[in-house]
Amino acid sequence: MQRQRRAIFQAFWQNRHLYLLGLPGLLLLLLFGYVPLFGHLLAFQDYRVDKGIFGSDFIGFKNFEFFFASGDWLRITANTLYLNLLFLMFGLGSALALAIFLSEIGKRWLKKFAQTFIFLPYFVSWLVVSMMVFQMLKSNGLVNQMLTALGLDPKMWYQDPAVWPILLTLVYVWKFAGYFSIIFLAAITGISPEYYESAQIDGASKLQQITRITLPLIRPVIIVLALLALGRVFFGDFGMIYGIVGDQGLLFETTDVIDTYTFRALRQLGNFSMSAAVVFYQSVLGVGMILASNALVRRIDRDSAMF
Amino acid sequence: MKKTIVRTPAADRAVLVLMTLAVIAFALFCLLPFWMVVVNSFASERSLSQNGYRLWPSEFSLEAYGYMLSGQQIYRSYGVTLFVTVVGTFLALMVTAMYAYFLSHHRLKHRQLLSFLTFFIMVFGPGLVGSYILVATWLGLKNSLWALILPYTFNPFFALIMITFFRGIPKDYHEAATIDGANDLRVFFRIIFPMAKPVVATVGLLYALSYWNDWWLALLYMDNEKLYPLQMMLRQVMSQVNLGSYVQGSNTNYAQAVPGLGLQLVVVCLTIGPIVLAYPFVQKYFVKGIAVGGIKG
Repeated sequence: MQRQRRAIFQAFWQNRHLYLLGLPGLLLLLLFGYVPLFGHLLAFQDYRVDKGIFGSDFIGFKNFEFFFASGDWLRITANTLYLNLLFLMFGLGSALALAIFLSEIGKRWLKKFAQTFIFLPYFVSWLVVSMMVFQMLKSNGLVNQMLTALGLDPKMWYQDPAVWPILLTLVYVWKFAGYFSIIFLAAITGISPEYYESAQIDGASKLQQITRITLPLIRPVIIVLALLALGRVFFGDFGMIYGIVGDQGLLFETTDVIDTYTFRALRQLGNFSMSAAVVFYQSVLGVGMILASNALVRRIDRDSAMF
Repeated sequence: MKKTIVRTPAADRAVLVLMTLAVIAFALFCLLPFWMVVVNSFASERSLSQNGYRLWPSEFSLEAYGYMLSGQQIYRSYGVTLFVTVVGTFLALMVTAMYAYFLSHHRLKHRQLLSFLTFFIMVFGPGLVGSYILVATWLGLKNSLWALILPYTFNPFFALIMITFFRGIPKDYHEAATIDGANDLRVFFRIIFPMAKPVVATVGLLYALSYWNDWWLALLYMDNEKLYPLQMMLRQVMSQVNLGSYVQGSNTNYAQAVPGLGLQLVVVCLTIGPIVLAYPFVQKYFVKGIAVGGIKG
C-alpha cells in the first residue's frame, strides 16, 4: 500500500513539468466550465440575491410550472426551432451551391476575388451587422429607396414581425454562406479529377457531372454538417438575434428565442430562478439532441464526431 | 421521339456563365453593406438626414469623423478593445497551447477522462445564470476588464485544433530532447511551440477575432459605459442617448449640432477598419483553421 502510493507520487513527480503545462488550462476549465454548473440549482430555488445560492429556499419545480403555464415556452421553443431550421436549410444550401459554382469557375482571379468578398461578412460582429441591417431597412433606407424607385410602396420593416424570419435567414446566409462554402470546397477539391475526366470522355454534361459525381461524393460532409447543426437546434444565436432585434418588443412574436428570453429574465427582470429554469430546460433538450446527432455522425464519419 | 440529353458544349457554357453570374451576384450582395457603411460615413449629416443612406451620397463631408475624433470616448473604447484583444489573445494562446500539448502527450495518465471533461462542457454548457453569478458576485469582476478577458481564455474548440496538430508530431521529437536532459517545459517552449507556428497563427487569429468582436461579456458585466469596448460603443451610439456628451466627454461642444447618423457609421468603420485591413494577409490562416476544425466549430 505504502509502496504503491509512493510509486504513484514518483510517477507524478517525474511528470511534474508536464502537469505544470496543463495546470492553467485545467484551472480555467474548472472555474469557467464546471463551477457555474451550480447555477442550475437556482432553477429549483426561490433565489434571492441577499441570501445567495446556499441560503435560498428550494421550491421544487415551481419555476418550471410557472414557465410552462405562461405559454412563453411554446413561443420561444417554436421560434428557436423554426429559425434554426431555416438557417440550417438555407445556410447550408446556399453554401453548397456557392462551393460548387466556385469549383467550376475556371478563371482563378475571379474565384479568388469572389471568395475574398464572400468570406468577409464572417469577420464582423453582430452589432456591426445589426447597424448594416438597420440602415438597409429603416424607413428611408436603401431597400425602401429601391421599392420607391420601382414604383412600389415602401414598407415599415421594423413594425412587421411576419417578415423577420425571412430577413434573419437572409442575414444568416450573408454572414455564413462563405464560411461553410470553404468546408464544402475543401471536400470538392479532394475529389479525384479522374472521375470528371472519364465522365467527360463519356460525354457527360456539366450538370450531370455535378449531380452524379460531385454531390454524391461530398454527401457525407453535407450530412455531417447538417447533423451537427441539428444538434444545436435548441440553442438560439443570442448575438445575432439580440444584436439585430434588441429590445424591440414588436418583433418578439417571431424572433424571441430561448437565449434572448433567458437573458431578459436575468438582466432586465432580475429573475435569476426563472432564467435558470429556462436555461436548464434548454440544456436538457440540447444535450439529448446533441448526443443523438453525434451518435448519427459517428456512424457516418467517425473523425467528424465530437466524441 | 426518344428523350435525349443535350450535351453540346454550348449548354455547358451557358451553365458556366450562369454559375459565374450567380457567384458575382452573391459576392456583390456580401460587399454591398460594407460599401454603404464606408461611403456614407463620408456623407454630410444633411444629406444623410434628407436622403437616407445612398449608394453615392449627394454631399460629402468629414464632419462626423471630426466630431468623433475630437471627442474622448473613441480613444477610451479603442484602448479597451485593444487591451482586451492583445492581452486576451496572448494569455489564451499560451494557456491553450500548453493545455493542448499536455492533453496530447503520450505520457499523460487518464487522458481519456481529461479529454471527456474538456469536451463535455461544450455540450452541456454551464448556462448563463451560473456564469453570471460566478463572474459578477463570486469573482467580483463587474466593471473590470478581466471580466472581458478571462471567460474566453480557454476555448475547448480551439484547443481541439491544437491537439490535432500536436498529435501529428512524431514521438521522436520528445524522446530525443528528453534524452538530452531537457524537461517537458523546455521541450514544449524550445521545440514544440516553434514547430507549431501555423496552428498557433490560426488559433491566435481565431482568439483575436473572438475578443475583438465580443460584446456579450461587456453587455453582461460592464455597466460603466466609459469602459465599453468598441462594439458596445457602437450600440450606445445607435441608441442615441446623450450622444454628444457620451462621444465627446469633457470636450463637448454644446454649440455644435450632433451628427448622429454619421457618427453611427464612423464607429462602424473604425470598428471594422483593422479587421478589413488585416484581412487579406490573414485570410489563408482562417481558411486553414476552418478546414481543420471548422466542421465542429
